[in-house]
Formats: sequence, structure tokens, C-alpha cells
Amino acid sequence: MNSIQAATRLHLTKKNMTFGVPLQIVGLIAVISALIVLIIWRAGGTPGSEEWIDGARSNGGMVFGLLGFLVYMGVQSIATTFPFALTLGSTRKAFVAGTLVWAAVTSAYLALIYAVLLLVELATDHWFVGIYIFDVYYLGTGNLLILLPTVFLGSLGALTIGALFGASWARFGNRGPIFLGAGLAIVLLGLLALVIPLITGSVLADFRLWWLAAAAVVIIAVSAVMTLQLLRSAVVR
Amino acid sequence: MTHAIELLSATRSFRSDDAVQDVTLAVPEGAICGVLGRNGAGKTTVMSLISGQDRPTTGRVLVDGEDPFENEAVLSRISFVRDNQRYPDDYFLHHVLGIAPAFAPYWDGELAAELVERFRLPRKPAIRKFSRGQLSAVAIVLGLASRSPITLLDEPYLGLDATARGLFHDILLRDLGLYPRTLLLSTHLIDESESLFDHIVLMDRGRVVLRTEAEEARHLAMCVSGVADAVQAFAADYPVLYSHSIGGLQTSTVTGRLDDDARSRAATLGVRVKGASLQDLAVAYGSGDALQDSSKEGISA
Amino acid sequence: MFTEDSPIYQQLATQIADDVVAGTYPEDAAVPSSNEFATFLHMNPATAGKALNVLVEQGILYKKRGVGMFVSPGARSQLLKQRRTDFPQQYVRPLIREARAVGIDPVELAEMIKEEYTP
Repeated sequence: MNSIQAATRLHLTKKNMTFGVPLQIVGLIAVISALIVLIIWRAGGTPGSEEWIDGARSNGGMVFGLLGFLVYMGVQSIATTFPFALTLGSTRKAFVAGTLVWAAVTSAYLALIYAVLLLVELATDHWFVGIYIFDVYYLGTGNLLILLPTVFLGSLGALTIGALFGASWARFGNRGPIFLGAGLAIVLLGLLALVIPLITGSVLADFRLWWLAAAAVVIIAVSAVMTLQLLRSAVVR
Repeated sequence: MTHAIELLSATRSFRSDDAVQDVTLAVPEGAICGVLGRNGAGKTTVMSLISGQDRPTTGRVLVDGEDPFENEAVLSRISFVRDNQRYPDDYFLHHVLGIAPAFAPYWDGELAAELVERFRLPRKPAIRKFSRGQLSAVAIVLGLASRSPITLLDEPYLGLDATARGLFHDILLRDLGLYPRTLLLSTHLIDESESLFDHIVLMDRGRVVLRTEAEEARHLAMCVSGVADAVQAFAADYPVLYSHSIGGLQTSTVTGRLDDDARSRAATLGVRVKGASLQDLAVAYGSGDALQDSSKEGISA
Repeated sequence: MFTEDSPIYQQLATQIADDVVAGTYPEDAAVPSSNEFATFLHMNPATAGKALNVLVEQGILYKKRGVGMFVSPGARSQLLKQRRTDFPQQYVRPLIREARAVGIDPVELAEMIKEEYTP
């Protein structure tokens, strides 16, 4: 077996963590969304009205609920697995590459689940009672071609950023994530300061969704490279 | 003879201290080498360097003639489970046994199963809840069943009861007979393991204080005990490694071969003398009095 | 199992020789392999091998390639002869040394031996 596959399998060993828990979280968020709908309806909202649909489509639960969990998964994919990967005889490079492959597998799996559930949601006319969980603005308002790359790249981004934080902890201990977080905030604000003056009406008019996708790919690549750099000098003691 | 493992003036410094200082050693292929010393002597760090889990700050580490760091070919031939090994969150024994073969080309599932059964490792609680002895047994399973040509066992006795220690020796020696490999075993329990070794590395405070072939070790030094004045008179002729006295009685460990001269001199002075055991040497060097590297025989043949 | 006084391989060689003399391993019978000794006695396999090789050099054991080690024909009588030769130095001299130290004269010593010898 090649060494990257072996590292991917190391993450997949706990199948429930990779495939079961995300499903449970999706289910949990769906239930919460349904409850919220119930509350709004009891409070006097009119299901099916334009206002109702607009409000429901702003439901970001499916996006942000999972995001937190994915970042945690990313952190532990490095923080608690790295020492054992070294013990098994993995190189740092193969471990980081294998972790990236695992993150891609997990993200593809999530994208698939979202796609299937979106189709069910559309086919049942929003679960028969007007609950909008997947047919929301953040996920392309029912457009599969937007939902698939959004969920895939979003998940992969969350996992790799989590992994980067995990690596900073493996390298620098408790100070790692603090400095990394502060560093990222400074870089982000700096970029904003640079970019905001450039955003003119014409740029906004030219905005294409693929810009976001490109940005996600860059973030994923940079995170993976930084993760490897941190782990190269990380020592288990 | 080829050297499976070589360290050339390897030093590993961490922020405040040198975990390993200027370590030079060579382990021939097929040797069973004991890495002995007190807790904190640097044994685990040396193994960490050999297994490419860490890099020396200065100096070199060679395994099969190559730098092990990020070296896939070399790493697939090494097994090293550290004494305080951490496992991923919520790992159970079956997770460990399921994934290890993916990384260990020589893995033997039957041997792993036999070890699990005979050490009575439980399937149920997560590894995080294992006792010290059970953790040692997991490390032994990984170390032996991997059949790695270079196997590093880090404090394998921790928490094992006498039955389990005997079992470990049984299976270790049986399997080494079937599949010879280069074995490094670190421990501070010397009496327990001494007869296994053909080579000895004794470490203290990050340094190698003694490296020798096991048979040579017993000729390196002697322990002389008796009335303090007489012991001191005897010891005057030899470099003293360590002395210990209570009231008017004294024991000294001195370097030098226990030959007929030494025996007759001891008889004349009325002191008892015996060849120093490895344990005596470890106590002598570990007491901190002896810092000079007085290795007579390099480990390299 | 082993003491500090002499090299372990020598101690094991002596033990095996003792067993040959005692008839535990008859002539042309196989002796355990170095790995079997190592596993049984929890000792280093190379050291066990050295013990066997010492006995091969002395002609007590012989090797059959790929099969193992066997007791040489005549090994027992060879060992007995050797031990008879070594007897005065190994046992009589220490006995006399001790007898002198506690003041037992030769006649008395001979008496004592005769008395102990009769079953």
C-alpha cells in the first residue's frame, strides 16, 4: 500500500467519526430548523408567502452548524493523530498528503449527502410543510451545480484550516493556535485594507461565484503547505 | 559487520536543555542492544532520533547508512513505540490492530493475535482507559508483530507483572529466533533484562557513559566493600567511579579487571571484592560522580 | 540462573557438558538449538550460540548442516577424562587449603573423606 493511502486509511479507521457523526449533525440541524419553522408558524407567519420563503431561505444553520464541527475534525485529524502516525512509520509528508485526501473524501461525502437531501427537499416541496434546509441562499437556492462545489470546497476549507490549527498546536503547544489565530487575523485585516479601496462598482458588477471557489482553493492549498511546514519541525515528546 | 544504526556526535537540544548530548554509537545488524539508564537519561530521545521522529540539532543519525528523517524506505523498516505513546481520540485496540499492517510491510497478524490473547488485552475500554501495563502490552504487540528489521522497544516492562514480563521474554526470544532483527531495548530495570543483551549502551544525563559488548561489561569494573580504610587503600590503585559509605563501612565501584592480583590484594587488605554487575555499573555512573566516557570497547566490532 | 563470576556462555557450556556427563543427552542425540536455549533460559541467542560453538570446538558436539547440533560419539568419556584431569586443581586444592586454614591434618582429612564416601 502506498504511504499516502496508508495515512488516509489511518483517518478512516474510525469510520463512525468520518461518516456517521457528520450525518448525525446534519440530522440534528434539520430537526432544529424544523422546530424554528414551527415557532415562526406559531408566531403567525404564513407558510408559502414570499416573506416566509425569503426568511426560510436565509437559514444558514446547515452551513454554519457543520462548519464548527468540521474545524474540530480538522484539528483532531492532526493534533491527536500525528504522534501515532509517526509511530506507525509515516513520513510527515505522506501524513499531510494522506490527511488532505481524507479531508477530500469527507468533503465529497458531505457534498453528496447535501445533494441527495436537496433533491428530496425539492421533490417533497420542502418536506410538505415549507421547511427550507438545503434550498437556501448560501447553498445556491436549489441549484445542484452551486451546492456541490460550495459544500465540497467549504468543507475542505474548514477541515484544512482546522488541520492547520492542529499542526500549530503540535508544533508550538498551547501558544500555537493563539499565535496562528492572531497571525491569520492580522493577515486577513491587512488584505482587506489592501483590497477594499479596489472594490469599485464595476468590480462588484463583474463579481463571479468562481472567484470564491478560486479563493477557497488557494486557502486550502496554503493551509496544507503550512501544515506540512509546521509538522516538519514538530516533535513528539 | 554492517551497522544497522549509527549516531555520530548527535546532540538534541530543546529550548532550555540538551536532551541528548554528543552521542556516538553504532549498533551492528542483528544485535540485541540494551539502552540503560535512569529516567530522563535520554533513552527515549535517542530512539526518537533513530526512528526519524526527531532530528538531531547537530551531528548525524544513520539507519542502514541513511538519514531516517522523512525517509520512507528506512521508516518502513523501523518500529518504535514510545513509552508514553499517545493514540488518536477514542481509539480502541481493534483500531490499532486494523491500521498497523497498512504501515508495516512485515506485519504478522497471527503473532499480534497471540500476543493480544496472552497479554489478555481487552477489546472493550478505549485505549485511553488502559492501565500502564496494558499500554506496555499494546506497545509490545506493535513492536513484535511488525517484525521490523529494526525494532526499538522503549521501556517495555513498565507496569508489567512478573508473569507478563516472562511472557514477553518468551515470545520475544522465540520470534527473534525465527525472524532475526536488530533490537534496541531501553529500560531502567537492568537485572530483569541483562541476560538478553549482546551489546550495552549506558546513558546518564543525555550522555553515553558506557558502550560495550555485554560479555565485556563484567570485566570493566569491580565492587569492593569492607572497612572504609581498607577499601580506600584498595581503591587507591584504581579510578573510582562511585563510593558509598555508612558508618565505618564503605563500598566502592572502581574500574579495573578483577584478576588474580586484585583478588590477592583484596585478601591481604581484608576486603571483599567482586566483579561489578551491569546494575552496579549503572548505579555507579548514574550517581553522577563519573562523567568521563570511560568506554573501553566501542560497540562497533 | 547465571552468576557474575564467569562469562555466561561459559556457564551455559558447562551446564550442557554436565548434562552430557549425566546422560541427559546421549551420544548422537540432538541438543537444543541456540534459539531454543535462548528462549528457554531468557538469554541472548548469540550468547547461547557461542556456548554451543565452544563445545563444538572442544569436540563435545558436532554440527549437521541444516539439522542441528548433536553429541559426538565419545563425548562423555572425553568429558569424564577431562574432569578427572581437572579434579585435583578444581576440588582437591581448595579442600586442602581450607583444611590447612582450620588445622585439619592429612590423616584426619583422609579419615573424613573415607567416612563421607561410604554410603
